Amino acid sequence: MSSGFDASEFLAGYLVEAEEHLSASTMNLLAVEASLRKGENNPRAVRELFRSLHTVKGLSAMVGVEPIVDIAHAMETVLRHADRAAGALSAKAVEALLAGLRAIGERVRALSVNAPVAPAPPHLLDALAALEITKNEAPLTVEIDLEPDVLVKLSAAERAQLIQGVEGGRRALRVDFVPSPARAAEGMTITTVRERIGAFAEIVKVVPLSIPVSDAAPGGLAFALLVLTDGRDEELAAAVGATPEHVREVLHPRPEGGADPLGEPSTAEEDVGETEGRRRGIVRVEVARLDDALERLSALVITRFRLARAVDALAAQGVNVGELGDIVKSYGRQVRDLRGAIMRARMVPVAELLDRVPLIVRGLSRATNKPVRVVIDAGKAELDKAVAERIFPAIVHLIRNAVDHAIEPPAERRRLGKPEEGLVRVTCFERSTNQLELCIIDDGRGIDREAVARKASRPVPADDAGLLDLITQPGLTTLEQATKTSGRGLGMDIVKRAVVDQLGGEMSLRTTLGAGTTFTLRIPLTITIVDAFSFVCGDQTFVAPVAAIEEIVEVAPEGLVRGPARHTRFGEVRFLERRGEIVPLVNLASVFSLGAGDEPKALLVRRNGAPLAFGIQRMVGQQEVVIRPLEDPLVKVAGVSGSTDLGDGRPTLVLDLVALSGALSQNRTEVAV
Amino acid sequence: MTEILVVDDSKVMREMIVACLRAVEDFAFTHAASGLEAIEKLALQSFDLVVLDLNMPDIGGFEVIEFVRGQDKLKRLPILVVTTRGDEGSRSRALGAGASQFMTKPFTPDAILANVQSILRQGAAGFHE
Repeated sequence: MSSGFDASEFLAGYLVEAEEHLSASTMNLLAVEASLRKGENNPRAVRELFRSLHTVKGLSAMVGVEPIVDIAHAMETVLRHADRAAGALSAKAVEALLAGLRAIGERVRALSVNAPVAPAPPHLLDALAALEITKNEAPLTVEIDLEPDVLVKLSAAERAQLIQGVEGGRRALRVDFVPSPARAAEGMTITTVRERIGAFAEIVKVVPLSIPVSDAAPGGLAFALLVLTDGRDEELAAAVGATPEHVREVLHPRPEGGADPLGEPSTAEEDVGETEGRRRGIVRVEVARLDDALERLSALVITRFRLARAVDALAAQGVNVGELGDIVKSYGRQVRDLRGAIMRARMVPVAELLDRVPLIVRGLSRATNKPVRVVIDAGKAELDKAVAERIFPAIVHLIRNAVDHAIEPPAERRRLGKPEEGLVRVTCFERSTNQLELCIIDDGRGIDREAVARKASRPVPADDAGLLDLITQPGLTTLEQATKTSGRGLGMDIVKRAVVDQLGGEMSLRTTLGAGTTFTLRIPLTITIVDAFSFVCGDQTFVAPVAAIEEIVEVAPEGLVRGPARHTRFGEVRFLERRGEIVPLVNLASVFSLGAGDEPKALLVRRNGAPLAFGIQRMVGQQEVVIRPLEDPLVKVAGVSGSTDLGDGRPTLVLDLVALSGALSQNRTEVAV
Repeated sequence: MTEILVVDDSKVMREMIVACLRAVEDFAFTHAASGLEAIEKLALQSFDLVVLDLNMPDIGGFEVIEFVRGQDKLKRLPILVVTTRGDEGSRSRALGAGASQFMTKPFTPDAILANVQSILRQGAAGFHE
């Protein structure tokens, strides 16, 4: 369907990179094995392995080598879990991963000599899938002394790596590098700095930080480098063009009985809904598997409709279908129940989703020196995992704003006669069968309408709704100075985008000066996500699920055949030939009465084996979209399954072209006969 | 000239992305082989669009997005995330962090070109306003 790109052009480059990743991965696995013998984890090697396999998977998918994609995917899954468990890998896992590398190697070499590539060995995939990663908890004996904005970026594995290094006798140091065009001209960039430091130290993490723009920092950027080394401070400082007093030690032995600062999960890896507590009788399932089950179920639904139609046809011929009809009906009910059961399996308790909130508040409270108490009341409410993943960042934004901006410093609160400790409350309950109401409440200073209006150079809003509109304008902030934790951008536009545009929910605000603010989010309990093509027809953008479209074809006007008596109310039906098959072509724009526009391309769908092509103006792209069902029965139209937002804040209709082709074929018989 | 920063640790992948987009004469490409290099280039030069991989050895694409969205002058910069299929959480995380659009590998040249052009068009019309 396209030109100008040929994967084989990149095969040579692919082979080189794949071999590089394979040999690096073999080295890393052997390093893991060596660590295992000493009874240690090797988080760094595990992370590198994970990334290598992930890259191999992506590259292999681009050049179309599915067996390698499958093997790399199975290995990557094991390594992702190991990375999250601070690098824990068993000897058995190492064995299976080595076998995986060998299997990939064989296939890469087959490719390089143009030999056929064997499919992924099922026993290997099974062995990898059967591996269990357990976390072997090492007692923590050190404290990391880092600003929260840096600490938060460290994954569990990176923290473990730092601790291990210090326990092994090296020092953990932080030094900052400030890039500038002048330094770049002298060949001093983050890439060369890392190379230079890499020669005498192990770089655990580099964290980019926004800093005020100045002559020395024209980009407003600094990189904080966390390294393990037994080298000298002078050496490290010289590598970044700084002086030794800018080198700081970040790990100290933990005082006896002190709090365990490393027990906090990193918010840099927000695995929403995944709690550490492993409960009896609970199985964790990847959401993708549930989606897969749902997809298979839709095939079942189609079979049911075909069955029902076949029974109707029999009945029309005078056959007595009494019992058969009953069976079809109960089958339909069972399919519906099954769908409900799978949807329920996707639900996660909101309480579990909010598990992390106290930790986040604790971190913010420490960073801002404001004592804050957090109260969470989520009851038994549950939420689709996909919704949970989309809403959690918005909740974190609102909580961050509350602690950062709304809660006053303790001295001010004392002066105002408020308790010194600020309060942030998160409550939630199921409003209806498909809606959840979440409130984020603080007892801070409230939002000053006039100040916001002044800052935004807009008229003062008349009420809280107007105020909400104003603060959700992109880029607005009321704070003069950027804070460490929230930065300058309040990101309220992002909250609105997640709640309203992406999820189709609602958002409201109630604020009282001096007393506090409540944000209320109403969100749907479930959503549907599909991979979809977007395209233009009749100068409007539509989307349609990729799975429904068999092919995108070029329409050559000279190749079209006009059939007799095929004028319908939505225009003329023509025919095009596709691989020896005659396919009717209708102009999609005229079906929706948008005027018969150009149709250089067409989307081919098949319903009950019969093909139909819809002529369209042009393709726009492919992406995964959240489908919002059209609830209003007045706007229910055959062929329109819902609406979505492509990121522009405007609703775009999602078309069910298969259903549409059904509606049209009935229509056509009526008109054509 | 439309300046595009292509960020991926795989050289072949960067070349493939450029091959998909080079049909447009107005496009000029800058490569970055790591997330840190991307952040440095973004802070010091100006670009019209970033095509970003999520999985990179130093810092991941998410951190690049978070950094870009946290900077006043980069807030409006369109970001097209192109990453490997199979990680259900990353799409929502990327969009939540502020990516303009999300595509999975393997992709077709038509799809990425169309996505890039649509993001650039939206940008010109005041993206997200």
